[in-house]
Amino acid sequence: MKTLLRRHEAYVLLIIIVVSIIITAVNPSFFSLENLFDLLKSMSLMGVFAIGMLFVLISGGIDLSFTAIATVSGYAVALALLRYGDSLNIFVIFLLAGAIGILLGAFNAAIIYFFRIPSIITTIATSNVFYGILTVLSEGKWLYGFPTWFGDFANIRLFTLYSPAGNPYGLSIVTVIWLALVLLAWFILRYTVLGRSIYAMGGSPSSAERAGFNLLRLNLFVYAFIGLMAGFGSVIQALLVQTVAPNSLVGKEMDVIAAVVLGGASLAGGTGSIMGTVLGVALITLLGNGLTLMHVPSQWYDVVIGLVILVSVGVSAYRMRKNIQRRVITETA
Amino acid sequence: MKRKQVLVRIFSLLVMLSMLAACTPAAAPTAAPAAEQPAAAEPFEIAVVVKITGIPWFNVVETGVDRAAKELGVNAYQTGPAQADPAQQVKIVEDLIAKGVDAIAVVPNDAKALEPAFQKAKEKGIIVITHESPDQVGTDYDFELIDNVKFGQHAWDQLVKHMGDTGEYAIFVGGLTVPLHNFWADTGIEYAKTKYPNLKLVTERIPCGEDQELARQKTLELIKAYPDLKGIVGFGSLGPIGAAQALKEKGLTDKIAVVGTVIPSQAAPYLKEGSMKEGLLWNPADAGYGMVWLAKYLLEGNKITDGMEIPGMGKATLDGTLVKLDLIMDINAENAESLGF
Repeated sequence: MKTLLRRHEAYVLLIIIVVSIIITAVNPSFFSLENLFDLLKSMSLMGVFAIGMLFVLISGGIDLSFTAIATVSGYAVALALLRYGDSLNIFVIFLLAGAIGILLGAFNAAIIYFFRIPSIITTIATSNVFYGILTVLSEGKWLYGFPTWFGDFANIRLFTLYSPAGNPYGLSIVTVIWLALVLLAWFILRYTVLGRSIYAMGGSPSSAERAGFNLLRLNLFVYAFIGLMAGFGSVIQALLVQTVAPNSLVGKEMDVIAAVVLGGASLAGGTGSIMGTVLGVALITLLGNGLTLMHVPSQWYDVVIGLVILVSVGVSAYRMRKNIQRRVITETA
Repeated sequence: MKRKQVLVRIFSLLVMLSMLAACTPAAAPTAAPAAEQPAAAEPFEIAVVVKITGIPWFNVVETGVDRAAKELGVNAYQTGPAQADPAQQVKIVEDLIAKGVDAIAVVPNDAKALEPAFQKAKEKGIIVITHESPDQVGTDYDFELIDNVKFGQHAWDQLVKHMGDTGEYAIFVGGLTVPLHNFWADTGIEYAKTKYPNLKLVTERIPCGEDQELARQKTLELIKAYPDLKGIVGFGSLGPIGAAQALKEKGLTDKIAVVGTVIPSQAAPYLKEGSMKEGLLWNPADAGYGMVWLAKYLLEGNKITDGMEIPGMGKATLDGTLVKLDLIMDINAENAESLGF
């Protein structure tokens, strides 16, 4: 199983390399450090959401409410920023957003576990509840005009380089936050009992329970974790655009799921890796970026991105099927 | 066994997703029709259906609708889909027709998609007014606060004022089927051919004008794809802001000029720091008020004539079914904060 996973990631990496070569051939400015750092910054938002989605998919569930959770926590953060502005700092902001995310995520988990409602249905419902209540309370108002420190924090770079044309670029703080979360997630999945039990639960919930895993605790962790990521994502979104709009995230769930599945996670649970997820996010972001750089008219974006998802997920599903067939044959033989 | 499970999951995901797509508008209804009117002299019921509810632009439109309802003594209210989706908007219009309102004023997401619904409305004797859709088929009157040809040209005049009349530029629109954004873009491109022949459009118009993060990303990409880029015209209230952010990030605010349609209060900081040069617009509250005023005027059996006066808004010109005012408004660092929206 592990080698299969590795192969899938290698496969995504291969597509990324091929796509990169094609883009560079058409427009050499793609292959620059500047574009690399800009891409990494663009990936961060989807990247953070994808980490949470990966955990849920591995556990055998799915969460369609994370954009609604992010919207709620983003809105709360924006209100806090507007009201208490200068007396806050970035840690309080992340703490607040994270806490709201965890709370709403735990709510999802409780419903899924105690009522045994499939996660997809639960989260569609709660997504509508979270988002609906927010729309009612906020009247859809956009929030902007945050304190200057919040804008300045978003522009921090760990180091700054200059392109030949004199444009500044560098490793953005936003990217650093994402990469730190990636490391944390990798550690949890790889080296903790908690991480391994999430795989176990995703592989077969009933055997996991019989083996003594506490499914309630695992569910709570997984959905609170994607809630946490949603909360952090909402801060990153606010940092990036300095505006919080109730409708700016809802509707983007599918891109995130597509990226994670592209990276090798299975909707059936039990498989997926953080490396694959990062690569999946990279590939999706790369395509949008590359199409502009290749001077492709904007009408073609969706078509190309859809086709690449189809082809790569299709090929990996095909390989998995062959693999299963082979196994069945050897087992019966 | 495992494979079957996967298939079942995928299938159920698909079913759920299609349900999700169908449910979203119903799940987030905004601005439900106001409570029942006192039965006395039944006031006219005028529904204003906007492209998308809950964004600042249409919130300001709504203030105009509410003001008109109060001042004109009609039951006017605003509604619309939670996403800028043509199909959802058609559904809302059809529901209003079934409900039997007196007049429907629509700001279309997709002009073509609404034609059958408008036909139905007419059969039921409901007055139909559109806004921001100059070539609309099936409407009684299309109401415009501005002359759209002049508006498109004015955007290019602003662009040239800030980037010079020579060089490369790009266009952002809200979407490729948004009638007005694309009309302005068409008009401007045509106008530039004769008036500013040295302007060069680098690529097809990019549909990112209603998504700030996307506009920011696209601007970063454009800077690299077209290193000589000197200007961006953005239609859709978030395109120019996202572009301005990207330029600020890259320290290119002196090299690339951004102009376009924006909400003044939101654009104010960008106009002040110079990452955005100038904006152009009209007052959306006037649009809300005007649509309701026009609907009531027609419901009372009056005729629209060329050169007639609309109270507080000036003289209107009539061209076929197009009722036009001339209220183009320049937005700059000086006035952005004082415009009140």
